[in-house]
Amino acid sequence: MFLALREMSRARVRFGLLICAVGLLVFLILTQQAIQGGLITGFVGALRQQSAPVLVYSVDGERTLQGSVIDPGLEAKIRGVGGVAEAGWVGQSTFTVRVDGGAESDAALIGYEHSGLGDPSRLSSGRRPVGPTEVVGSAADFTVGSRVRIVPSGPAGATSPVFTVVGLVKDAQIQVTPTLFVPWAGYEAAVKAANPDATTVLPSVIAARPTSGVSDTELVRRINAASPDADALTRSQAASDTPGVAQVQQSFQLIFLLYGLVVPLVTGLFFLIITFQKAAALTLLRAIGARSGALVRSLLVQVVLVVGGGIVIGIALFAPLTLIQLGAITIRFDPGAVLFWSVGLLVLGVASALVAARRVLAIDPLEATTGGGGL
Amino acid sequence: MTTLAESASTTGHALEMRAITKIYRVADDEVVALDHVDLTVASDEIVALVGPSGSGKTTLCSIAGGLLSPTNGSVAVAGQEISGYSGRQLTEFRRASVGFVFQTVNLIPFLTARENLLVVDEIGPRLGRVARDRADQLLEELGLTDRASNLPAQLSGGQKQRVAIGRALMNDPSLVLFDEPTSALDSSLGDQVVRLIRDEMKARGTAAIIVTHDDRITHYADRTVNIEDGRIAE
Ligand SMILES: Nc1ncnc2c1ncn2[C@@H]1O[C@H](COP(=O)(O)OP(=O)(O)OP(=O)(O)O)[C@@H](O)[C@H]1O
Ligand SMILES: [Mg+2]
Repeated sequence: MFLALREMSRARVRFGLLICAVGLLVFLILTQQAIQGGLITGFVGALRQQSAPVLVYSVDGERTLQGSVIDPGLEAKIRGVGGVAEAGWVGQSTFTVRVDGGAESDAALIGYEHSGLGDPSRLSSGRRPVGPTEVVGSAADFTVGSRVRIVPSGPAGATSPVFTVVGLVKDAQIQVTPTLFVPWAGYEAAVKAANPDATTVLPSVIAARPTSGVSDTELVRRINAASPDADALTRSQAASDTPGVAQVQQSFQLIFLLYGLVVPLVTGLFFLIITFQKAAALTLLRAIGARSGALVRSLLVQVVLVVGGGIVIGIALFAPLTLIQLGAITIRFDPGAVLFWSVGLLVLGVASALVAARRVLAIDPLEATTGGGGL
Repeated sequence: MTTLAESASTTGHALEMRAITKIYRVADDEVVALDHVDLTVASDEIVALVGPSGSGKTTLCSIAGGLLSPTNGSVAVAGQEISGYSGRQLTEFRRASVGFVFQTVNLIPFLTARENLLVVDEIGPRLGRVARDRADQLLEELGLTDRASNLPAQLSGGQKQRVAIGRALMNDPSLVLFDEPTSALDSSLGDQVVRLIRDEMKARGTAAIIVTHDDRITHYADRTVNIEDGRIAE
């Protein structure tokens, strides 16, 4: 401890630079991790926040809400599957809207037939709708009390529904678009206003809940077995299997893999170099009776301090970033991810110092007599 | 393990080397560095070890100090027989029982003069306060009190050598081995350092072997031992 700390305090610039470099890398890792999380949440957050444990798409919908349409025949088959306790419509379309009389913008509407099957599981503020003109909006885009008017197509002055935002839900966008959860009647009205030719409004997916004793995955299996046109997914599958999500995750995993190599490479090389540089001092210490284990311990103390210091700096740089909104993406401080990377990088850092530790263990104290102990 | 005080008092010798042979094997070549060396140093004796370059002086000190195991023969330091020791036992022996002043590198560059003494305490079971007092006392005796917080790079050659002597005495050794302690110093400074060594050894009643090329230094020793081609010629 004494040796490790003295050396660090006498070579402050050198160790300080390394700690800053590690800190910067930790900052980049945490930021990219948060961007990945924010991106995926922006794409499929609404699927995670909605309350139905199982969603059934049509096979040709390719696991997107907009692409999927359930015709009455398929719906009947799904409802007939044993183990379905309750099923309801869920529809999704994107509309041109004006919020509080402002400029035209896009909003995604998710219509649900029954609460508990497609509406948000829990609200971050406000209350749930009591009528078809009340909606819950994504918290990043709406405020309670906002009035959202669907811009009608067809002749100017045509009537169209106006929704009032009565509740908010966090991390609930779909396709990185401001999102509103609306009772089915309101959804139907919106679709008809935007598309006056529509006669019937079909659901995009069927939301289902299993009877007690049947698991979500078991229900998924049964529904998929019942019809080749049904593509049932659990809530989390629906989120992770949305086209694009896996590709985003893979790209980020590649980036994380690179960081996972760079951090230990930087620390490992640094400690190997300084171990070579102070070989004469280490040889002297061994000659006057220091155990090699004690010298390795002192090396590891330094590694832990450097990586630990880097983690602290990285977190300190990252934390303020999570307070701001980065364009459409919300950067979240995820303690689980921070802990994961802190522990992971400490382990990698210590592992990377094993080369230097081997070098320390290989020192021959006899070389002190010849002034050796250099390279 | 018997304590040092006990064993030293039973034999009365700081060092007993009997029939020590050291053969270095390099590739297919064999170098006989020491050839049946017998050497005894009394518990408060200062021995000057003199001989030409390559005669085996450093090898002899290395064996006496537990840095090197002999090919043949037995070594006892303060009554402690070390010839059969494992690497770990030798490390502990060096830490507890010997003081070293090496030919070249003697100080840790990132530690101050005082810390270079205290490091001896750090690598063993810590004495703390006692060790700090001892370090301060040694620094004072060596005239280094006002240099205590200098790094080695901020010390003159003679000052560095005095810090090394202090470091060698920190563990209160039974035997101190000086390998050419004056080779880097001019003759008057060298003279001064050897006188300092003598005073420190005699004040403590500690045995020492001083390796030197310099005949002028030998008259500070109680006895001079000549070594040539690995053989002692007294
Ligand atoms: N590690 C080693 N491997 C092989 N041969 C060695 C080794 N160390 C020393 N020798 C050889 O052993 C002999 C004695 O060397 P030693 O270093 O003991 O001499 P020395 O008397 O200290 O010389 P100097 O006055 O130059 O320091 C020399 O011939 C030397 O080349
Ligand atoms: Mg020598």
